[in-house]
Amino acid sequence: MAPAPSKLYADDVSLLLVLLDTNPLFWSNCALPFSKFISHVLAFLNAFLRLHQLNQVVVIATGYNSCDYIYDSSSATSGSSGTGKMPVFCSKLLENLEEFVIRDEQLEKGGPGGGIASSLLSGALSMALCYIQRVFRSGPLHPHPRILCLHGSQDGPEQYVAIMNSIFSAQHSMVPIDSCYVGAQNSAFLQQASYITGGVYLKPQLLDGLFQYLSTVYATDLHSRGALQLPKSVGVDFRASYATFLLLIACLNFWSLPSGIIIISYSLSPLSVIRMSRCFCHKRTIDMGYICSVCLSIFCKHHKKCSTCGSVFGQQAQSDVASSSNKRKMSDS
Amino acid sequence: MPQVRIIAKNFMDMVAALPAMKLDRLYQNAFICEAILRSLQPLAKKYVIQMCYIEEPITSKSLEEWVLPGGFSKHKVAIDRLLQLRIFSESFDRTTGTSYRMNATFQINLQKLITCGAILPREPMPSNITIRLPSSQELETYALQQWECFLLQLINSAQVERMTNISPSMMRIFQRGLLTQRDKETPRLTESGFQFLLMDTNAQLWYIIREYISNSEEIGVDPEDLISFMLELSFHETGQAYNMNTLDEIQRNTIKDLEDLGLVKLQQGRKESWFIPTKLATNLSVSLTDSSSRKEGFVMVETNFRMYAYSSSKLHTEILRLFSRVEYQLPNLIVASITKESLYNAFENGITAEQIISFLQQNAHARVAERVPSVPENVTDQIRLWESDLNRVEMTPAHFYDEFPSRDVYEAACDFARECGGLLWEDSKKMRLVVNTEVHLQMREHLRRQK
Repeated sequence: MAPAPSKLYADDVSLLLVLLDTNPLFWSNCALPFSKFISHVLAFLNAFLRLHQLNQVVVIATGYNSCDYIYDSSSATSGSSGTGKMPVFCSKLLENLEEFVIRDEQLEKGGPGGGIASSLLSGALSMALCYIQRVFRSGPLHPHPRILCLHGSQDGPEQYVAIMNSIFSAQHSMVPIDSCYVGAQNSAFLQQASYITGGVYLKPQLLDGLFQYLSTVYATDLHSRGALQLPKSVGVDFRASYATFLLLIACLNFWSLPSGIIIISYSLSPLSVIRMSRCFCHKRTIDMGYICSVCLSIFCKHHKKCSTCGSVFGQQAQSDVASSSNKRKMSDS
Repeated sequence: MPQVRIIAKNFMDMVAALPAMKLDRLYQNAFICEAILRSLQPLAKKYVIQMCYIEEPITSKSLEEWVLPGGFSKHKVAIDRLLQLRIFSESFDRTTGTSYRMNATFQINLQKLITCGAILPREPMPSNITIRLPSSQELETYALQQWECFLLQLINSAQVERMTNISPSMMRIFQRGLLTQRDKETPRLTESGFQFLLMDTNAQLWYIIREYISNSEEIGVDPEDLISFMLELSFHETGQAYNMNTLDEIQRNTIKDLEDLGLVKLQQGRKESWFIPTKLATNLSVSLTDSSSRKEGFVMVETNFRMYAYSSSKLHTEILRLFSRVEYQLPNLIVASITKESLYNAFENGITAEQIISFLQQNAHARVAERVPSVPENVTDQIRLWESDLNRVEMTPAHFYDEFPSRDVYEAACDFARECGGLLWEDSKKMRLVVNTEVHLQMREHLRRQK
């Protein structure tokens, strides 16, 4: 992965990580056939690669049961030539994609016996971030990375925690997550992802002109974004991000209180002021709930023990300061 | 490095300066479209991609709606460049204002490129015909050797052991502007010649290619053909063999010259012959963008003005000799010291302190390159100080006026000179003044009118 030392890097050399939704349960019901969708995307990826010799594309397929890298332009043999019908990289990508879909299908066991047919977005995001970390560590010279989620499936509430973690991790390493959502309703996860990381969220109105949306909005490199007005998200469902932010403040308050009162933070405290997010136990979107003041997990009802960090709750303020500091250590019990 | 940009821009200017018809013909080649696309500014690239499938004219207003207030200068530069290269054509309508539309040939080619990919006019030869292709390492060494050999011959033909096959007349064309020769003296490098040596390889390459192309006009080869061939060559795959039969007569002649520059390696099989593009060739279209290049450095500068260069190349010795005193040479090490005399020598030849410093910084050895600053500050400061020592006196050509008939005439003359912005010095007591040469003629007219 280490780039050759003689590489040249201009401002607009980009690394684009594309998360491609391949969830069959979504595409079988979508107005836009998958074949059309993929041809728009391939054209866009090709156009992106044409913009700079050193531009790099990594495609990660997000399936129903798994996700995997299906194309990496840096490892593929270079050369823009093709067979005349299709650029070389496209046939390679399609081949890998087909293999992936078959593998993904084989992993399926119980069948979609209910629940929400969501793709494994959290896994794909984590993979993309891992790839970016590897690029960051490969040396001082690397292209500017960004993530583009081409997603259509509904949000999977059970992935909430993992996705939020990925989003914050992306924010921390200053990687914008662009998202283009082709599904029916807006995706709250992707809206938040783009909002928090400074990317662009867009839900194309006319799916037939997908290439135009992609080339107009998402082909813009990070350097040029400073000069352009890209679509801004209106009405992001902030429930998750706000909650986490406010919870942080709330907990900081707890910690800054004199040590005698720290005990309070061991009991579950209902916070009715904040509009809450999805709870960690049933993944329901809730307005009011309980938080664990040790690890900030959110629950819709009272538990004896935090399921995330194992802290025991329910100790009342009657125990003295000394015992509370002991309790603090027994987080694994 | 600023020079790179100048050279690269010059090449694109050369393309932009082609007559409209030729430019349209150039755009018929998909590879040229791609190379041109890559050479554009990031914002211009975005506009091209955005307009790729829009056949209707787009009003400038709707384009400007995308631009943030801070980005207008960039937007303007991008649009100007696109118009200059005739990728966009401008039209004006009274109701809608200015609108742009994309060059149809360029657009169709770009669409094809995006959906189908482009096909090279020749395919790599199968490995059973070609005997043994050089490894990429060998190829790179070969390319650099050829290039250095060429450069050495360019600046100092006496030093070369192995001459390249470039005809003396061609060599003289390359040397034009870089060397001067007064009769019976050995040729000396000119100011731009010194600057040329301090540039990086890509910039040097573009300079030579540009000279080569502009010279081709004189011998009757269409520069347009050459430009398209060079750009096409840059899309070939490094290290693959391509059959010579696929080239036409002009291209075959060109490729022989390119071999001497190290852009391709020619090989002869039992029946067929083929050429193998090297990295220098495939980087041709990369260097069109203004990006800074990084290569393995070899120079270490110490705070005591001693310079250690880990290199066995004669060219490097020659370059270092431009501004330092080479003290001794070991098989892989050149030891030199930067002295006041050696620098004065360099300044006299037109090299600036900034160029020397940026050369030292860009070629800093990997060990010192990590340090900040890579060249000790006392050395860089001293180099700058020595340069400014030479520039204490500024010379301005001027004319001296004396013996005015009356104070009125003198004052009027002073005022006139001041208005023209050419008054350099006045002495009202003795009624004398000095004006810049540029306003001398106007001044004379003025005084004549007074009489």
